[in-house]
Amino acid sequence: MTFINSFQSEWLKKKRSLASWLVLAGAFFTPLIILIAKIKNHAALAALYVSDDFWLKAWNQSWESMEIFLLPVGIILATGLIAQIEYKNNTWKQLHTTPQAFTTIFLAKFLVIMIMLAEVFVLFNLGIYLSAVIPSMIFGDVPYPSAPIPFANFWNANVNFFVDCLPVVALQYLLSLQFKNFLVPVGAGFAIWFVGIGLLSWEYSYIFPYLHGTIDFLMSSGQFGSRKIPPVNIELLAVIYFAAFSLASWFLYVTKKEKG
Amino acid sequence: MYCIETIDLTHKFSAAETALNLVNLRVAEGSIYGFLGPNGAGKTTTLKLILGLLKKQSGEIRIFGKPFETNRVETLRRIGSMIESPSLYSHLTAVENLKILQKVYGCPKGRIGEVLELAGLARTGSKRAGQFSLGMKQRLSIAMALLHSPSLLILDEPTNGLDPNGILEIRELLQNLSENHGTTILISSHLLSEIEKLVTHIGIINRGVILFQGTLAELVNKRRQNSFIVFETNDDARALQIINDFGLNARIESGRVAIPVIEKKQIARINQKLVKSKIEIYQIGKIENDLEKIFFDVISE
Repeated sequence: MTFINSFQSEWLKKKRSLASWLVLAGAFFTPLIILIAKIKNHAALAALYVSDDFWLKAWNQSWESMEIFLLPVGIILATGLIAQIEYKNNTWKQLHTTPQAFTTIFLAKFLVIMIMLAEVFVLFNLGIYLSAVIPSMIFGDVPYPSAPIPFANFWNANVNFFVDCLPVVALQYLLSLQFKNFLVPVGAGFAIWFVGIGLLSWEYSYIFPYLHGTIDFLMSSGQFGSRKIPPVNIELLAVIYFAAFSLASWFLYVTKKEKG
Repeated sequence: MYCIETIDLTHKFSAAETALNLVNLRVAEGSIYGFLGPNGAGKTTTLKLILGLLKKQSGEIRIFGKPFETNRVETLRRIGSMIESPSLYSHLTAVENLKILQKVYGCPKGRIGEVLELAGLARTGSKRAGQFSLGMKQRLSIAMALLHSPSLLILDEPTNGLDPNGILEIRELLQNLSENHGTTILISSHLLSEIEKLVTHIGIINRGVILFQGTLAELVNKRRQNSFIVFETNDDARALQIINDFGLNARIESGRVAIPVIEKKQIARINQKLVKSKIEIYQIGKIENDLEKIFFDVISE
């Protein structure tokens, strides 16, 4: 009961916050761009909409920018903003004098971030669907896609991409809880991510925690090229990183000498 | 039983900077304890340690008779606090700010309206806390501290930013809580005049050391002890000798002979003796130290 109350309390805090707007913007940005492009080039859509691999193409087209660029950036910003709600409002001291174990506070905030990430996934999938079907609703010459939606494949890919994000979430959460200045976790996050992008062609790039999503997408969409396939399960590696970063984050948070 | 008791509480921010040195704070149950000291004296550090916002280094903290460290959550359930500046979520309304705490404390939703009414913020509607004046923010912070009807209230400089009317309202509110609900209140301030009409007990801290602790009556008694009679004469050295013959501990201070407060008849006898000894007396007066002066005397000792 205590944890549910703590979670509800944390959930309330993100109302009207920048982080909650970022979820909407991040989820619908790419689908909106794709929709605009389709509307602009609607003359060429009729043939595309009857192809057997319509949904796969739509999926890959949408996820490309999301997985490589928007998702890491969104996680870095949103995780930082959730911790900033307390720093900016000078409310850590208020929060830490409420009758909650530090572990409860840590987990409640962490769960809020996780659910926000899940929200992004749900809304992004909805966005992919809408960006695909809206042109057929607007233009008479564009039919509803004839190919069936490969739900199982998309579900599995969603789960894998979600798991791939977890190390980024955990490490960004750790940084955001430790540094009052918003620029530190965000700057560090971007720096790590940039280094990762630079290492993408490296044989062992899969050991870099911020690259799991990108590698996973490139492999699943057949764009991995001549690169060597990672010899380990990327999702398993992501879970291990996630567990290690989360544990370190929790330890640093509960043992912090000054809590407000 | 003490509601709050610290035993030899010591805290250092660095090897060279001792913020608190063997602080033994004792706040009696049901009292309104004024915790006084100039800025940087160690008030906020003490309060932060009591609330677990700073990791304790040395000494012991007991609240409601139990060690705080091992009973943190249970103890905090009975404490309402406001440390330093108001802690509010500026993007949320007053009701939303209170709702966050209502969820955590599990208190009835009706309390939100009650404390808003109490703090005079019932009509703030959809106005966000970030748009409140400093006084409104301060009052909302106090409302948040009162939401779960705590038996101990810890307020760090709660009247900062309030106008005289606001200060009076807060004073009445705290008096009401103490008298009608038996709430123990620990309130810090750097101005004695601001809280002397409110408190039953006083603790004075400076440079991390408790210099005085006791009831307000004891402090008033100290005021009496610090009052004295002065004689302004043309020959202070001889006057001092004559007055000391009466068995009084006279001293020369600021060009006057000062003695502890004595009965009027004895003053007259001293006066007669001085006149007979051909000493010219220009003035006989009584110097009374007010509480503020005592406070400054204590912290400058």
